Amino acid sequence: MLDIQNLRVTYGTGRLQVDAVKDVSFQVKKGAAYGLVGESGSGKSTVLRAICGLAPISGGRVLVDGTEVKTPRDQTFYRTVQMVFQDPYASLHPRHTVDRTLAEPLAIHGEKNAEERIAQALREVGLGPSFRFRYPHQLSGGQRQRIAIARALILRPKVLLLDEPTSALDASVQAEVLNLLDELRHKMGLTYILVSHDLAVVAHLCDKLLVMRHGEGVEETTAAALRHGTASNDYTQSLIHASSGYTREVLKPAAA
Amino acid sequence: MTKPLLEVEDLRVRFHLRTGTVDAVRGVSFQLGRERLGIVGESGSGKSQTGRAILGLTPPPGEVAAKKLSFDGIDLLTASKRTLRTLRGGRISMVMQDPKYSLNPVMTIGEQIIEAYQAHAKVSRAEARDKALAMLEAVKMRDPGRVFALYPHEVSGGMGQRAMIAMMLVTDPDLLIADEPTSALDVTVSMEVLRILDELVAERGMGLIFVSHDLKLVSSFCDRVLVMYAGRVVEELEAKHLREAQHPYTRGLMNCLPTLAADVRPLPTLNRDPAWAL
Repeated sequence: MLDIQNLRVTYGTGRLQVDAVKDVSFQVKKGAAYGLVGESGSGKSTVLRAICGLAPISGGRVLVDGTEVKTPRDQTFYRTVQMVFQDPYASLHPRHTVDRTLAEPLAIHGEKNAEERIAQALREVGLGPSFRFRYPHQLSGGQRQRIAIARALILRPKVLLLDEPTSALDASVQAEVLNLLDELRHKMGLTYILVSHDLAVVAHLCDKLLVMRHGEGVEETTAAALRHGTASNDYTQSLIHASSGYTREVLKPAAA
Repeated sequence: MTKPLLEVEDLRVRFHLRTGTVDAVRGVSFQLGRERLGIVGESGSGKSQTGRAILGLTPPPGEVAAKKLSFDGIDLLTASKRTLRTLRGGRISMVMQDPKYSLNPVMTIGEQIIEAYQAHAKVSRAEARDKALAMLEAVKMRDPGRVFALYPHEVSGGMGQRAMIAMMLVTDPDLLIADEPTSALDVTVSMEVLRILDELVAERGMGLIFVSHDLKLVSSFCDRVLVMYAGRVVEELEAKHLREAQHPYTRGLMNCLPTLAADVRPLPTLNRDPAWAL
């Protein structure tokens, strides 16, 4: 479904040149969920932004469904690929009601029967019709992220790019959103690319993942391998270690 | 444990807003010796306001009331502003969440540490400088002399947070309040910062209040955990007995996290019982 070949993203020129992403390649099959993990500055979000046209592609190719994407992206691209951003407090227009937020993509793409589609989109993300005329400030963080997901899904895309969809949310709300994403993928046969710094979240939602560091892919591995703690790369290993809590790590050097 | 360092009884923090009164903290009581106490809760549970109220840093229009709020025998509610000023930063200090916002952007890191030290100790500048450098070394800065002369925007998040810890510990406080000290940092960096904090706290025999939303982290770092929900402590337990938590909220919080060890699908979610907030 998605084929990323030797993707490079470069900002600035000359002395100020920064290679945010250097030669990253991966493929995502139709209906699969693929994770990108790494620390801040590893370029994981930049990969997503480059796919959907928010960051310049300086080298390499991005193929969606076998065809290379055009710059600027056309309407058919956005019918296939949609994105959900990290912070639902920042990604919804504060002075647009839920109804207006959801109507916008439909209007851009000249869709009819907006009425029905909005009601259906709200149902799909588990919110009732009573949420339709609320403003973002009248919603909780989890509800806002549901609206952001509804906005992405309303055009019936095949690929969803998720940029840290739960890191601004509380643990209990994170569980709800993760369950929703899991359920939607199975029901609608969506393809996901999930970016997160949390290994457990990625392992929960994705089958395959790429560990990134300093703009490079360090290791491609599977969620199953992560669960068994088998990683060939030292960096991946240290991430697994760090995500398992605090004490054990400090006991080790003390014992040595 | 002899006399507790900090005694809090029936602490209440209230905000009178245009839209009505919000009770952010409703009757929190605990005692703290020279130990590590974790306060855990989700956003809006009043955990940060509890930490701030102890230092008298509740932002207006908030009002603080308590039956008892005493630090080492000093009543913090009736103490003069002058006494509070000597306590704050001197014997009680606080590490904030994000070094980007809590360090002074137009002062070098070294200057800030010297300022913090000279505000509480009558020492010459040269002595303060030596102490600041020693502190930077204590928080494992690779090149203390270089970091000393840097501005906050020139250092990474992890280094900034370590600089802040250095600044807060330079006066040898008896009590350190850390409000989400690692939430703005990457996992591997945050482990490093925690290890430094852990060592320094153990070395100096300080009391530590660690405020965080991360139950797993707190339970692996602290001795005792208070779980807060809607401004109240719903459960207090030894960190090592966290697995045997009784309250449905604590259990729910623990279970709803995805883990690498187990593949649970769908994740159990938290059904909030309105009775918990009563």
